[in-house]
Amino acid sequence: MTSGDPWKPFQDIINDQWQEARRFKESAAGVVIGHLAPDVPEEILHASGAFPVSIEGASSAVSMAQAHIPGYTCSHVMGTLDLGLSGKLDIIDALVIPYVCDSTRNLSHLWKRLFPDKPSELLRLPKRLEFEGARDYLITEYRRLYEWACGLTGNLPDTERLAESLKLYEKSRALLRRAFLKHRSSPDVWTVTLLRSLFVSASRSDRSKHLEWMKALPWDCPENTESDLAAVYLKGKVWDPPQLSGIMDELGMCLAEDETAAGHRAVMVEGVTNGDPFEALADRSLATIPYTGYHVEPTGLVNGFLERVKKSQASGVILLNPKFCEAAAFDTPDFVNALKNESIPNLVLETSARSFSVGQLKLRLEAFREMLGMEM
Amino acid sequence: MEPIKSLKQIKKVTTEYFTAAHMARQNNKKVVYCNVFTPVEMLYALDMFPVYPENHAAIVGARKMAAEVSAAAEGMGYSMDLCSYARCDLGSIKAGISPTWGLPKPDLILVSNCQCGTLTKWFEVLGRMYSAPMILIDVPHSDDGAADIEAEKYVRAQLVDLMGRLEEMTGRKLDEAMFKETIRLSGEASDLWTRMLELGMKRPAPITVFDQFIAMFPMVSQRGTQIAVDFYSGLIDELEERSAAGISAVKNEKYRLFWDNLPIWPELGRLSTFLGDRGAALVTSIYTWAWSKLAVSQDDPLTDWTKQYLYTFNLHFKSRVDNYVDLARNYQLDGFLYHSNRSCKWISQDVQEVRAAVTEITGIPGVIIEADQNDTRQYSVETLEKQIDNFLDMLRKG
Ligand code: SF4
Ligand code: SF4
Repeated sequence: MTSGDPWKPFQDIINDQWQEARRFKESAAGVVIGHLAPDVPEEILHASGAFPVSIEGASSAVSMAQAHIPGYTCSHVMGTLDLGLSGKLDIIDALVIPYVCDSTRNLSHLWKRLFPDKPSELLRLPKRLEFEGARDYLITEYRRLYEWACGLTGNLPDTERLAESLKLYEKSRALLRRAFLKHRSSPDVWTVTLLRSLFVSASRSDRSKHLEWMKALPWDCPENTESDLAAVYLKGKVWDPPQLSGIMDELGMCLAEDETAAGHRAVMVEGVTNGDPFEALADRSLATIPYTGYHVEPTGLVNGFLERVKKSQASGVILLNPKFCEAAAFDTPDFVNALKNESIPNLVLETSARSFSVGQLKLRLEAFREMLGMEM
Repeated sequence: MEPIKSLKQIKKVTTEYFTAAHMARQNNKKVVYCNVFTPVEMLYALDMFPVYPENHAAIVGARKMAAEVSAAAEGMGYSMDLCSYARCDLGSIKAGISPTWGLPKPDLILVSNCQCGTLTKWFEVLGRMYSAPMILIDVPHSDDGAADIEAEKYVRAQLVDLMGRLEEMTGRKLDEAMFKETIRLSGEASDLWTRMLELGMKRPAPITVFDQFIAMFPMVSQRGTQIAVDFYSGLIDELEERSAAGISAVKNEKYRLFWDNLPIWPELGRLSTFLGDRGAALVTSIYTWAWSKLAVSQDDPLTDWTKQYLYTFNLHFKSRVDNYVDLARNYQLDGFLYHSNRSCKWISQDVQEVRAAVTEITGIPGVIIEADQNDTRQYSVETLEKQIDNFLDMLRKG
């Protein structure tokens, strides 16, 4: 347990992404499996005996990847490749890439060719979420992932063990949900940056330890219903650039909702822990707000988003669009039109680690914040 | 060189097709937007009319209208980084500018993602725009192309479901005889198309990939009809005659090249002349070969489509490289021209490694040129020509 600043363990992991993976490797000589967001069920990797760790390529600078993939590729994919090429992923033994778009599938091809000694698995997430066969296919994909991960760790697949991992992750998600509510009620103490540190570090830590650390947080701090922070709805792939949370705090913004792939969206749905764990995982995944690369009925997609925004009572919406992301950029104009029709202020930020300026980002957010101020 | 006469018919075939498309509703046919890798034979058997927005976009590109209509799409909020087919289609609707008088409004949108994920998102926009129902045939990518029995079940179940939904929508039962006949006609057109492609193996080649791009329209838009069969029969007869008479597509053929990726539609004529003047014949390409594998059996077409979507059109890295190596041998290639196409991330993101792998195996060099299938603002044709010239120079020096 920690004494002193209860936020420190999380901040330490933000500062040193591999800290916990390294510890695991040194103490248990175990297998570290990296994965890319979104929607890779970490509990499956955990149950195999591996240490799952999320990789965020989006915010890395790119210097070597261009020799292998064209520059008109999103930062998430290019950054991941670059991390691999520059040796920054040496700690991982294997990689899981969720098939959410053409770029992730191509990354999988390139990874296999460029890193033949680091096994990778393309998790074939079904895209047609409203078709009933999607659930069955997802379940078989989860089973395949479990067998693959067990093949790496040398453990035998064991449904009981997976059920235990599922329970642990459900507990963690429940506390993260509570943390999000706490941010909403006490945003001046549970700032955006601190909240982010909990979510980001969760996918880089031993979940049991993370749970213990979270229990020590200031849950009893008073609510601040009078807060004059502007609550915004955030939608996008990842928090790219990472400086975004600090700027939001600085400008007096908090989160009405965080629909980023691995943000509050990823923990929002409470799953069941009894019954078949593969089925429970699939049901939870299918009940989660669909990631932009998936397909749902097109008008319902926009209306559903609008309803969620309204329900959140956000004063405005920020859409984080990774540059060169086809999946997100086709949705955006209709989302923006729907928001405009309801007079909900919105800001589209096209993000890329390669053409990013904190100063410019801040200017745009300042202007947006002023606009929200006028709305309030 | 003496032009291929049969290609002159393309204009007539295209005009008749779009006229029929615009008349479809008046003729009590439901209009279905779709992509090539969908079972259009079912649509014909239910008297529906398939329309291909990609095809429309390609025509916009070939007529050099892309910059103007793309700008309209960008004005709607669609980023310039998005596939230019999508931007051309959406921009054409917005600006009301189209070489085909636009497209008729859809009653249904049908798409498969064994091609790219972009198409699904683009068609979702159309679905909202026209309030049309949409059906996705979701095809998982098996990464290395290994058999995925569960995916086969998943895809086949969607095809069964599709048939039921189409019947429900049209209020009629699928006409078995018509279904089989359409499948037969598709298979025949696909076989003829393949024979036409194989003629490029002759030395010198009687047809280039540029001609094949022009000849593609019936294969893409009229598969399953007698029109496509008649057109390709005539074309093959003419090519065989030309070949027997020693007429080659390129005068003094010196270099036999492969074209990777989609064409650069606005530059077809210019690049064809440029290469022809240098004795360089584009004898084969991945894009034209894609239409050669569309035949399915009449006995169990659903299973055949399932396997085609999962394993043939799903562009796995290894099978792509193997394919190029085979083509290099069969067509006696001297070099590969790889079009790194900003619009089509799906085909292009692997291109650097595909080139490396193919050269490792065959020793045949390749050059990567960065351009765009439609959007002339995204490249400079002079730079492309310079790159190609340097490459030919390198081939010449051996
Ligand atoms: S969904 Fe978009 S951001 Fe995510 S990997 Fe694909 S292209 Fe990149
Ligand atoms: S050009 Fe490429 S990205 Fe665009 S629709 Fe065709 S296959 Fe998809």
